[in-house]
Amino acid sequence: MGARYRLTVDPIDRTIDIEEGQTILDACLREGIWLPHACGHGLCSSCKVDLVEGEVDHGRASSFALMDFERDEGKVLACSAMPRSDLRIEADIDLDPDAHCHPVRDYDGRVAAIRDLTPDIKGVWIELQGQAIAFQAGQYVNLHLPGIGTPRAFSLANPPSEDRMVELHVRKVPGGEATGYIHDTLREGDPIRLTGPYGQFFVRRSRRAPILFLAGGSGLSSPKSMILDLLEGGWDLPMTLIHGVRTAADVFMADLFADLAARHANLTYVPALSAPDDRPWSGERGFVHEVAERQFDGRFAGMTAYLCGPPAMIEASVTSLMRGRLFERDIFMERFLSAADTAGSRPRSPLFQKV
Amino acid sequence: MRMMIILPFIGIIERETTMNVQKKISLKDRYRILTRGLDWETSYQPMGKVFPDVGFEGIKIRNWDDFNDPFRLTMDAYWRFQAEKERKLYAVLDSFSQNNGQTAITDGRYVNTLKLFLTGISPDEYMAHRGFAHVGRQIPNAGLRISAQMQALDELRHAQTQIHTIGQYNKHFSGLHSFRRMHDRVWYLSVPKSFFDDAVTAGPFEYMVAIGFSFEYVLTNLLFVPFMSGAAYNGDMATVTFGFSAQSDEARHMTLGLEAIKFILEQHEDNVPIVQHWIDKWFWRGYRVLTLVAMMMDFMLPRRIMSWKDAWDIYFNDAGGALFGDLARYGITLPKYVDVPAKEVNRLSTEAWSIFYQYTHAAAFHTWLPTDQEMDWLSASYGPDWDRLYRPRFLHWRQMEKEGHRYYNNALPQLCQVCQIPMAFTEPDDPTRVAFRDTVYRGERYHFCSDGCKNIFDHEPEKYVQAWLPVHQIFQGNCGGASLDQVLDWYGIEKGVDNMDYAGSPDERTWKEWEAMRGRVAG
Repeated sequence: MGARYRLTVDPIDRTIDIEEGQTILDACLREGIWLPHACGHGLCSSCKVDLVEGEVDHGRASSFALMDFERDEGKVLACSAMPRSDLRIEADIDLDPDAHCHPVRDYDGRVAAIRDLTPDIKGVWIELQGQAIAFQAGQYVNLHLPGIGTPRAFSLANPPSEDRMVELHVRKVPGGEATGYIHDTLREGDPIRLTGPYGQFFVRRSRRAPILFLAGGSGLSSPKSMILDLLEGGWDLPMTLIHGVRTAADVFMADLFADLAARHANLTYVPALSAPDDRPWSGERGFVHEVAERQFDGRFAGMTAYLCGPPAMIEASVTSLMRGRLFERDIFMERFLSAADTAGSRPRSPLFQKV
Repeated sequence: MRMMIILPFIGIIERETTMNVQKKISLKDRYRILTRGLDWETSYQPMGKVFPDVGFEGIKIRNWDDFNDPFRLTMDAYWRFQAEKERKLYAVLDSFSQNNGQTAITDGRYVNTLKLFLTGISPDEYMAHRGFAHVGRQIPNAGLRISAQMQALDELRHAQTQIHTIGQYNKHFSGLHSFRRMHDRVWYLSVPKSFFDDAVTAGPFEYMVAIGFSFEYVLTNLLFVPFMSGAAYNGDMATVTFGFSAQSDEARHMTLGLEAIKFILEQHEDNVPIVQHWIDKWFWRGYRVLTLVAMMMDFMLPRRIMSWKDAWDIYFNDAGGALFGDLARYGITLPKYVDVPAKEVNRLSTEAWSIFYQYTHAAAFHTWLPTDQEMDWLSASYGPDWDRLYRPRFLHWRQMEKEGHRYYNNALPQLCQVCQIPMAFTEPDDPTRVAFRDTVYRGERYHFCSDGCKNIFDHEPEKYVQAWLPVHQIFQGNCGGASLDQVLDWYGIEKGVDNMDYAGSPDERTWKEWEAMRGRVAG
């Protein structure tokens, strides 16, 4: 393996790792930093950024897409430039007024409790040993598990005010190495290390718009943290949580949300079952996006939507929201990807950047 | 913590910082501050009088400020970039000229693709320039206006640089000398000409959807990649360099097309059906123009890049499929008649080349029959039906040539009222039957090559009854006279030099002399 360097991205001031031979674009996209780009091989110049510090190999950047005088002025094509030293770039990234930019740190903890939430989702509570974790509701952490090479991402379900007890909801992915370990091997009292917080999924409070949370299965974790955080902060605009699961046995934390909804007039809680069955259920039936369409008569303009769940749920929900006149700038999401999900995803065009 | 920062000339900007992280102002905010106040609401004239064309198409815009300027490029920076691109391109053209680059191409026949490009496409780059200038004038949003202005200048640059690049060949080959006059007059060039005439006479929103989106985004790869890759495969470094120079502008064009269509679709749901019709229309219009590209790829390149069928699969089915998958979220569906190109993909280029072979005396480039090897490539690309339906035709024509009776079609073909292509294309579901469609409008019968073109006419008959159809114009005596010679003179086609088969042409003689010289040097 080649040398490893540090890459700092302005104006967001985030520092990530980049390896020798890896392009700036690749390193950024892998860390969730979206840079404008199109052709991906040095011809179109959509990904031009300023190199503030450091030295790069321009790689396959075309001399028309990146002129000599631009190279002299410190411009680089992110899709082609590879590091020869630590780098600092300035890219065309919007500063989000609601982003807190908490630093990423390693945390050591001990498993305080493991509880079955549904037949295939376990709640895992981890008590942090050292310092408390600072994060924004909606963000995730990477969990380091013994014997499993790559750390796995899980959204934080606890609100930021509970900064010593991390709560994670872990669905057992069939054949999944990490989730299998958590379900079958992990025990209360085990030491565990986590890194975070990561992600750009957080509430855009400054918009002061009614909120729609669409959650699928274990995707309830982020909305739970967000709703608790909003209520603690005195949020007074309407918010609706639609939580989609397959059967009545898959519903969890319904008492918590029903209780919150009873105490806060601005919170509406709608659990919904997607699988047909004969057992009695007084609540909603259908997929999350169908329930949302019924709930709002297919009109979503003026809201801000937060989507959290598996890719199919996200895809269907985005389509419903956009058909209901809610567009990219008002939709935020966290996709829960497992190895199986990436294979079947449909090809995408550059029409949308985030959704 | 709230901070106040005082910047020279700009004033006071408030910034919110958290966790003591020092953030810079984003490029977007810097540009906003730089350009603030450069656009304004008019006071002593109503906005509607200043921007008169923005209302009549039925597009509803709730808030012009929602348009997100994706480039934030100043004119100063724009000029510097473009000037540097020019310097690079013209350095290559000088070197091409000094080193007799024209002798390095694969075969003299290759230059005929350049003739098609210069007479058919380059003047349309100029028309694209005019169209974007119109959009830039008419749109009451500074970001869209400046983007359209830059694109108008890009298109003008493309037209000029194409003329200068291909002009290198005009010193040695026929058919390139009167491209502008030919574009306005020659029968088959009315296909690309009418396409852009249709676009620039539309309103600014339709133009953005037609050219900015449908053409620049959906179909541009099917036009430029075959020509530029064709140049690369056939040793034409001048045209390849032009291609790189233009491609560096294309990213901006594609982005503008995408941002524009998103903006229009998001502004009001009533815009969706209007845009859908434009996508249907301009997909079909563009596809018909691409017939010339299909023919160029499959019959005219001495060294082939890929078949028209492969190009359609890669650039339309794959890339377009991803795009329309995303557009579905707005309620936009695949264009009407999108299934037709797939049905006729195996024969489109053959039917087109057959027309030009029959009308070689009236064409501004040379024709030829495919060799056995080329026919084997066509049958490998297009399957057994190609051998069954088309190989016998070419073999028959070859036999006629051998016997001294080379076949010429002396009847003037009927043209489609919309795309202006001769009505020699077959039914999508039956390659043995010529397709005819018609509509009666105000007592006159109008003819079309396809359901796609008939659909376009029926939606806007007042526009297309005005079409300047080359065959009608010849019959009406508006094209120099009644004889072929008179019409060719009027076209600017030099008889026996620019037209007819490649075999026996001055181009072929030139190429053979160069080959002989190379042989002497090598021998």
